[in-house]
Amino acid sequence: MGSYLIRRVLRTLLVMVGISVVVFAFVRSIPGDPATALLGERATPQASAALREQLGLNKPWFINYRDPANLLDAQFPKYVGQLVQGNLGSGIKSNIPVRDELAARFPATAELAVAALLFALLIGLPAGIVAALRRNSVWDNLATTISLVGVSMPIFWLGLLLAYFFGVRLGWLPPSARLGNDTVLEPITGFYVLDALLRGQPAAAWDAVRHLILPAIALGSIPLAIIARITRSSLLEVLGQDYVRTARAKGLAGRTVTLKHALRNALLPVVTVIGLQAGALLGGAVLTETIFSWPGLGSWVYDAISQRDYPVIQGGVIFAALVVSVVNLIVDLSYAALDPRIQYR
Amino acid sequence: MKKVLLTALLAALPSAGAATLVFGANGDPVSLEPGNITDGISILVQRQIYDTLVDFKDGTTDLTPGLATSWKSNANATQWTFTLRQNVRFHDGTPMNADAVVFNVSRWWDPKHPYGFRDQGRTFEIVGQLLGGYRGDATAVIKNIVKVNDNTVRFDLNQPSSVFPNVIAAGYFGIASPTAIRQQGARYGTPASKPVGTGPFIFQAWRTGDRVTLTPNRAYWGEKPKVDGLVVRAIKDPSQRLNELKAGTIDFANDLTPEALRSVQADRNLVAVKRPSFNVGFVSLNNRNQYLKNERVRRAVSMAINKDAIVEAFWPGLGISNASFVPPVLAWANSKNVPEDYKFDPQAAKRLLAEAGYPNGFSIDLWYMPVSRPYFPSPKPIAEAIAADLSAIGIKVNLKTEDWAKYLEDRNKEPGFDMYMIGWTGDYGDPDNFYSAYYGATASDDINWNPPQLQRLLEQGRAAVSQADKAKIYAQIHEITYNANYRLPVVHSQPLAAARTYVKGWVPSPLGSEAFNKISVVGKR
Repeated sequence: MGSYLIRRVLRTLLVMVGISVVVFAFVRSIPGDPATALLGERATPQASAALREQLGLNKPWFINYRDPANLLDAQFPKYVGQLVQGNLGSGIKSNIPVRDELAARFPATAELAVAALLFALLIGLPAGIVAALRRNSVWDNLATTISLVGVSMPIFWLGLLLAYFFGVRLGWLPPSARLGNDTVLEPITGFYVLDALLRGQPAAAWDAVRHLILPAIALGSIPLAIIARITRSSLLEVLGQDYVRTARAKGLAGRTVTLKHALRNALLPVVTVIGLQAGALLGGAVLTETIFSWPGLGSWVYDAISQRDYPVIQGGVIFAALVVSVVNLIVDLSYAALDPRIQYR
Repeated sequence: MKKVLLTALLAALPSAGAATLVFGANGDPVSLEPGNITDGISILVQRQIYDTLVDFKDGTTDLTPGLATSWKSNANATQWTFTLRQNVRFHDGTPMNADAVVFNVSRWWDPKHPYGFRDQGRTFEIVGQLLGGYRGDATAVIKNIVKVNDNTVRFDLNQPSSVFPNVIAAGYFGIASPTAIRQQGARYGTPASKPVGTGPFIFQAWRTGDRVTLTPNRAYWGEKPKVDGLVVRAIKDPSQRLNELKAGTIDFANDLTPEALRSVQADRNLVAVKRPSFNVGFVSLNNRNQYLKNERVRRAVSMAINKDAIVEAFWPGLGISNASFVPPVLAWANSKNVPEDYKFDPQAAKRLLAEAGYPNGFSIDLWYMPVSRPYFPSPKPIAEAIAADLSAIGIKVNLKTEDWAKYLEDRNKEPGFDMYMIGWTGDYGDPDNFYSAYYGATASDDINWNPPQLQRLLEQGRAAVSQADKAKIYAQIHEITYNANYRLPVVHSQPLAAARTYVKGWVPSPLGSEAFNKISVVGKR
């Protein structure tokens, strides 16, 4: 187990190095550069060239072969030098250190992702279980239909619909943002619900929860559908296996068999899916965050891409890759906890 | 008992005007450092914190005193002297005086200024664009800035410029506290900093991607704010801004889509607010294209596009189409010899095309922008409408687009686009700001047409001192550009804004942002 962990961590590090190189080359090979994007309609060739020079974008990417004396003048050595010191640079236009912005925005995305996942599990798991146990019943059909709709509904459409109905027509929930206009909350962890509780502000916590509900439903709709479907099929498969029949034959009560023996084994693929969904949640967050004015990573990196803000894109991608790697590591480790047959060496 | 209850109830109600004003902006500011931004949201927030030397009268592009109470030039407009308002202090207590102004201007314009932070990637690119360059550049408008005495500064210019006060009045050039910049260093303007100006509101906090919170400046030299606080929320999605307005979670908002007008009008809690038009959306025709080289073909293209119908369809009640490159507020710069409206005449266009030698038409590319701008909120369907009009006279149009940054780059790369959609929103109230962006020495080379005569006239326009001279020069420019048919103005649109009915006294500026100190809130829940 210990050596497995070390190997996994080393492999993750290797992946991160690879990703930093790839993202560096990749963002620079997208046509259109930050100077042109920043200047917008004002981007004449002269203006773009002048700005490019001021921003140091006219320097070669990798090795300055024309001028070996200024080898380190190229963009890549500079970038690596910064990375090694844990410095991701600053946004080209805003001059905000990428690290600060990551620290401010990641908790927002994580809070939303956790809420979305909770929502997906709380509804998806029971729905899948009921569908499997009452196969071909009304419940099964309902669950299957809902999950189909959930998968095929575009997030931005669902999000706007939710905001309009629950935010505007019914007025039950705020249509967007993380906190109300009058709520003052000094962040600690960046998870607002938690922070409000830590600060002893129950009203602020409730406000934060209310703001979480709609975006969490929008973001959680697809994982919900997937979790319900996987749970159903996996549980059905397990229920048909010999050991379940044996357990039943031994006279164990139906509920004990289903919940204790079958479900535990059926959950394995569900956990895998949750791990994979971590990446998908970060991706889906782009749309959800944009619609719900959620100040998270997704909307930030998305803007940076359209602005070609290299340091922000690099920092965002590297960080997202790190998060996905860590989540997957946790998922792999949790297999062993769920299934004693799985051992890591 | 009843009376006591009523009194208690009344006491619980907020008094008139005592409320927080919440504005829905279409995104986050980029930076709160003046001189170093070009985007509308940064300007909007800065407008609350900072004052400029010269200001604009409510709802117009006419000049009015700001931090300078008066200004005058020498005879040929190469020297501008500004008299500063006395007893004005920055929010941190620093006195606003000639030293402070020289400090601000120097850091924008002098690349070697120790507080310009060029080493940190600071660019102040707007100075290069609006004022021709930086200290020492031959093309720079400003040659020198001099403190005459504590309350007077003088700008020496390299070239005559009668519009200098207009330029310096643009929202980019707010005057910041030198003390604050010296203390905060390169951090100044970022969310971790504390921007300090002399404006009607004092910066409190900025949570990026979410909101900027401001408190009223009770010691403001001008009209003091009438609200207890101001929150500028970042709400990128236009439908969501409308949702928030309808839900009452924001009080007023900018940049709604033209389609939202009906929905706003149908809601009795909301009023539609039309910003005066200060933009132009147009189609550029490239002289490098073998067909478009032909003057008759260009005229035919112009006559075939039904601009009025397009405006009616895409900006119902929110736009006008005329034959001028400058928006209606600058109509004094238009020539009387040019018809007010384009003539839409597909039959004549067809004849022209035949005369040009293309009775059966030809095939051509039309590029549309991938992004929404106030002058073209939905470029693709507009491009489709243009294509349909042109196909009616036999010109087959291939619609094309690509990512915005690439679009901006490719239009300037030879051979450029055959025909493409673009536009402009003005920074200050002078026709030069519109024409020089697309014609003349500093313009892009996207259409390969920039006659020396036009360049000379543009220079004369910038130098002309009297309004009568200016009007004459711009009338000529109007005639030349109108007759050449290289850039076909399609629309001057009015960006749609809206407010809850209790928001009183909001007069939107054509320039896109205004200080919110005159707004009061009456009867907000």
